[in-house]
Amino acid sequence: MSEFLVRRFGMAEDDAAVFWQHMRTPARSFVMLLCLLGITVLCGATLPVHWIWMIEALSTLCMVVIVLVISMEVTHEPPLIRLFAVVGFFWVCILFGMTLVDYLFR
Amino acid sequence: MSAVGVSPVGVELREQFNNTAQQRHAATMGMFIWLITELLLFAGLFLVALILRITHPASVTAAAKHFKFWIGATNTAILICSSLTMSGAIELSRLGWQRGMVRFMLATASLGSLFIVLKGYEYVVDWQEHMVPFFLDRSYALAGDSASELFVNLYFATTGLHGLHLITGVSILLVLTRQAAAPGYLQRHQNRIEIYGLYWHFIDLIWIIVFPILYVLNR
Repeated sequence: MSEFLVRRFGMAEDDAAVFWQHMRTPARSFVMLLCLLGITVLCGATLPVHWIWMIEALSTLCMVVIVLVISMEVTHEPPLIRLFAVVGFFWVCILFGMTLVDYLFR
Repeated sequence: MSAVGVSPVGVELREQFNNTAQQRHAATMGMFIWLITELLLFAGLFLVALILRITHPASVTAAAKHFKFWIGATNTAILICSSLTMSGAIELSRLGWQRGMVRFMLATASLGSLFIVLKGYEYVVDWQEHMVPFFLDRSYALAGDSASELFVNLYFATTGLHGLHLITGVSILLVLTRQAAAPGYLQRHQNRIEIYGLYWHFIDLIWIIVFPILYVLNR
């Protein structure tokens, strides 16, 4: 990848190596997100079985976690910020959980 | 892009903070709190979409068949690419490589604009296919099916609200890019790039949820 940066963007070799070292994690998350999107799209386009929504939901959940943890770097933040991020999603879980339990089991 | 053009990186300390670390954490914390309120706003819309799916599956499926699945998928891929370029801009700002950072920010704004253009095209096709039930003087393709009408209105409310966030995001990004191109910017305001990056990733995160809930689950 460093060689690609040198050839394509005319970066000095040392600069390209430093930049790629910093971009390795975002690049990995990018590839994972595209793969998961591919799974979701494939499932949605073909609809092979009636329970495919579970795979789609799982794939979406994984994508959300990747964006939160890697792209938004929540794990690198101080504990108070991590707490707020977790509490925010906890409130959403309560909202979805309590409402859907009613509709799914009435 | 070369290490020769490296700028010193830092944050200008404001008088109400003890040190720059405290200032950085306060800014990040403020952004997270705001993003949580935004998440709760969108969560209500997602929940209504799921409830409609559970209570009126046939109507929702009929309406969702008119949505442009492949444009939605392409737009998701575009936003994922824009998240990568935004991450690149953040990393370059940390390294102090100002010129490269500005280029990555412009690439992010371009990808965001491409998303908006594709979304606009989708709306035009919806108009041509008579799938805009909130225009009372225009006939609706699934007339008589009030649940599908409700779902299509919800689709426009959700994607419209997301689009509004994206238009705002691109506008702010262009202003920020102009400011960030000024000499000495990274020495005084490097954390602004990181704070803005959180907003951009959040826009991506919301669309990652919108796409399956509106386009995929209801096919």
